[in-house]
This record gives sequence, C-alpha cells and structure tokens, in this order.
Amino acid sequence: MSDAADVQASLEAVLKDEIVRMYQEVADNPRQEFHFYHGREAAERFGYAREWLDSAPAGAVASFAGVGNPHERSDLRPGETVLDLGSGAGLDAIIAARAVGPKGKVIGVDLNPSMCGRAQAHAAESGTPMECRKGRIEDIPVADSSVDVVISNGVINLSFRKRRVVQEMFRVLKPGGRLSITDIVSAKQLSQSIVNDPKLWAS
Amino acid sequence: MFALLEESGFTRVRSAVVPGFRFRKTSTQNSAEAYGVKAVMMTALKPATG
Repeated sequence: MSDAADVQASLEAVLKDEIVRMYQEVADNPRQEFHFYHGREAAERFGYAREWLDSAPAGAVASFAGVGNPHERSDLRPGETVLDLGSGAGLDAIIAARAVGPKGKVIGVDLNPSMCGRAQAHAAESGTPMECRKGRIEDIPVADSSVDVVISNGVINLSFRKRRVVQEMFRVLKPGGRLSITDIVSAKQLSQSIVNDPKLWAS
Repeated sequence: MFALLEESGFTRVRSAVVPGFRFRKTSTQNSAEAYGVKAVMMTALKPATG
C-alpha cells in the first residue's frame, strides 16, 4: 500500500469511530444541542408529515439527524423492497415501512450495531418491522439487483469513497429501481485541515 | 454527487436544494456558506435494461 493509501486508510478508520460516536451521542442524549438541527425540530423543518412524527416512537423522532426529506420524491409503493443507507434510530425506515406495507420490506444498514438494534426496536414498537444489517455503505451487505428503492438521509457525505458508495447503490438496485436521497454537498474543495479532522468531517 | 451518479450508470438524475437546511450554530453556517455547502435532494433511476 502506498503512503497516500495508508494515510487515507488511517483517516477512514478514525472517521468511522467519530461517526459512530457522534450519532450515538445524538441517540443517547437527544436533548443535547448539536451544531446541526435534529429530532422533531429538524424533521418539521424538512416537511415530514405531522402524522408520521406523531405515530412514530418518540425515541426514533428525537434521534432523527437527517438533512432533508427523502420521502418527498421516493414515491414508495406497496410491496416494494426499500434499502435505507445509514438507518440510524430508524425514523426513515419506519416511514418507508408504512408506505410499502406488509407485503413490502425495509432493510436498514448502519455502521453501528447498537443503532441497528435501536432501529429494529423502534420499528417493532411502531408495528412496522424492518431488518437492520451492520455494515458499511461502501460495501453494502445486500445482494445484487435486490431492492426497488434506495433511500438515504445525510450519510453519503460522510464517506471518503463516494464513488464506491454510488457504485454500490447501483449494484443493489433492481433494473428499473430508483434512489431518493438527501445529502450535503459542497461547491468548493474542502481544505485539507477539514479533510484531516474527523470531528469536522463527521459533522 | 450528481456527476458520480451519471458516471455510475444512473439516468434521469435530478437534484434540488433542500430549502429548510441550515446549521444551528451561526459560525458553522457561515463556514458552510463560504464553502458552498448545501443540502440537496437527489433522485435517479437504474436503467431497466442494458
């Protein structure tokens, strides 16, 4: 491995730990103030329907840390299989599960096994089961051409390997499948000091 | 991201700015604006054939 690849691998490992720590913190202490909006306040900002939020478990709503509303244009239909990349505490997966109904299926993927457990518990509490798999969005633990829709909310920007993530989304989608994602983009190249700082990158 | 989606084979790639997005802290928001950071919604299709 080259020196540059070594540095990138090392940064990625540190970043992974920081991402797990930060979003675990949001889930564990949702009343804390972060530099981003979260919880019901954020979801309402992005146009989540009141009935979605009122009927979801309080823990799933309080831990919401998305950057937009991927459901606005997802056009989910009953019976579809949906993949939620970076499913966190499960709010988006629960909303998707309601849309696809009992004949559909929602699979979440999250780096943090503890968040997977929490998402599944929230989904079960709301009567909308989902399966959460621990894994990385750069190596999605889902078979080729097996999902109808990929949703994701504020997660892909956290990856150093966005091209790989996009290729993975393409791989797991069925022919004719679609994605509806919300995420953060930057018009300018971030400075090396930001790229090299896991706390800044993770946020 | 838009270009990555097209280069990876997705079609009908669409994007729109998320209007309600901003950082809570003014200092973070100011830094984000300096870098042109914004939240976007993107949709795309995997071709049915080919």
